[in-house]
Amino acid sequence: MTLPPAAWHAIEAFIVLNALLVLVAYVTLLERKFAARMQSRIGPYYVGRPHGWLQPIADALKLMMKEDIVPTASDRWVYNLAPIVFLLPCLLIFATIPFAPDLGVADLNIGVLFFLAVSSLEIVGLFMGGWGSNNKYALLSAMRAVNQIISYDLPFIFAALVPVLLAGSMQMSAIVAAQQGLWFVAYPVVGQLAFLAFLVATLAAENRVPFDILEAESELVAGFRVEYSGMKFALIQLGEYAHMLGTSFLGALLFLGGWLGPGPAALGPVWFLTKAILIFLVVTWVRWSFVRIRVDQILAISWKLLLPATLALLLATGLVVAMRGPGGA
Amino acid sequence: MTLETVGFWVVATVLLASSLAVVLTPNLFHAVLYLAAALVATAGVFLLLEQPFLFAVQLLLYAGGVVTIVVFAIMLTERLVGERIAQTSRHVVNGAIVAAAVFVGIVGFLIGAPLGAPRPAGTVDTTAAIGRALVGPFAVTLELLGVLLVVALLGALYFARSEE
Repeated sequence: MTLPPAAWHAIEAFIVLNALLVLVAYVTLLERKFAARMQSRIGPYYVGRPHGWLQPIADALKLMMKEDIVPTASDRWVYNLAPIVFLLPCLLIFATIPFAPDLGVADLNIGVLFFLAVSSLEIVGLFMGGWGSNNKYALLSAMRAVNQIISYDLPFIFAALVPVLLAGSMQMSAIVAAQQGLWFVAYPVVGQLAFLAFLVATLAAENRVPFDILEAESELVAGFRVEYSGMKFALIQLGEYAHMLGTSFLGALLFLGGWLGPGPAALGPVWFLTKAILIFLVVTWVRWSFVRIRVDQILAISWKLLLPATLALLLATGLVVAMRGPGGA
Repeated sequence: MTLETVGFWVVATVLLASSLAVVLTPNLFHAVLYLAAALVATAGVFLLLEQPFLFAVQLLLYAGGVVTIVVFAIMLTERLVGERIAQTSRHVVNGAIVAAAVFVGIVGFLIGAPLGAPRPAGTVDTTAAIGRALVGPFAVTLELLGVLLVVALLGALYFARSEE
């Protein structure tokens, strides 16, 4: 039986998507357990004893059965579409991530650019939700989000471009192949600085503490998703965690050598997942350790420090590459 | 019909409908959302032409960047003015006439033009070709654009500076 290539792609995408959704669900459990440990708590425990293994499933069921509330004063179409528009780019970013050599939906030759371009669309769903809710907290949150995204998109892109320059390719698999000898995080000076900038910009792009002014539960309740309930709320949460996971995968791929690691090649996906989870845990660790900073501080960090620094870093990387020639480390 | 033809008609319909909606809707915020849809559909056109680089850049700069800035502008001005600003088109009829004239002109040109050879299959890596062109024959143009953007940035700074 032979299927047309388009059908194969569809099947692959279906499998990746579902594996991803399960992974995202369990990543939330991981975060809750991790946060609980940091605060000397136990965390989810009773659903699926002894360690709350069934908690994500229970959460999903609960959210699906909750009442769907649409505020009367909302902009109905915009309000209802926003969670989907928000979720779509968050899932699409996984399209170009290869989980091992030749194991992924599409290994485009512009892989990194595709990831950056699609993830920049996330903001559209975000301000649709913030505006459509017709709620001043949601609107304030959307304004802060737009503000923050304008400020942190560029440093994020510049930091992600450093490995691209070092590898001389935007193709994800080629970037991993270029790290055969030396992971880019270990590349003298530029590697570490770029990784650091990438992590900070990641925190901001994912709206995590200390950059979570748009969520700010103590002042804005829950930000742009304050009016959402039930499945729509679940979609937004899903999108947020999928984005976080996707960025962790990107970081593992750009800086930590992707699926490279000791042992047989079949262990590749395991290594890749381990590294991505490691980055996710670092982000979580920061989230539960720091306090939220002010809007002006966030903007100052971006425009006065991160943007010039990453720009200089990109120039320096260009110089390094020009001196040693393109290709791997 | 091939998949490509179907894709073209879908993208073209979305593009046309959302572009019309941008200028016809009275709600300014909806206009921006339709603009985002139109820009994404334009990216879809690039994808159908097998230009993944242009597709990604279109999404990154226009759908992601320009739309965000426009939304920012609307949110800020509405807060300053304190009321919803409605979009009004005073010259719908004149605009329609001009648009129709341009459409007829383009169609006339296309009918008169000889049908070229079918598009060659994607043999060259256009991404690399675009990159080489930008730093090769078009390097001066690129630099001039950079200067233009710096001037625009300085102008914005001049207007935004606080009165001492």
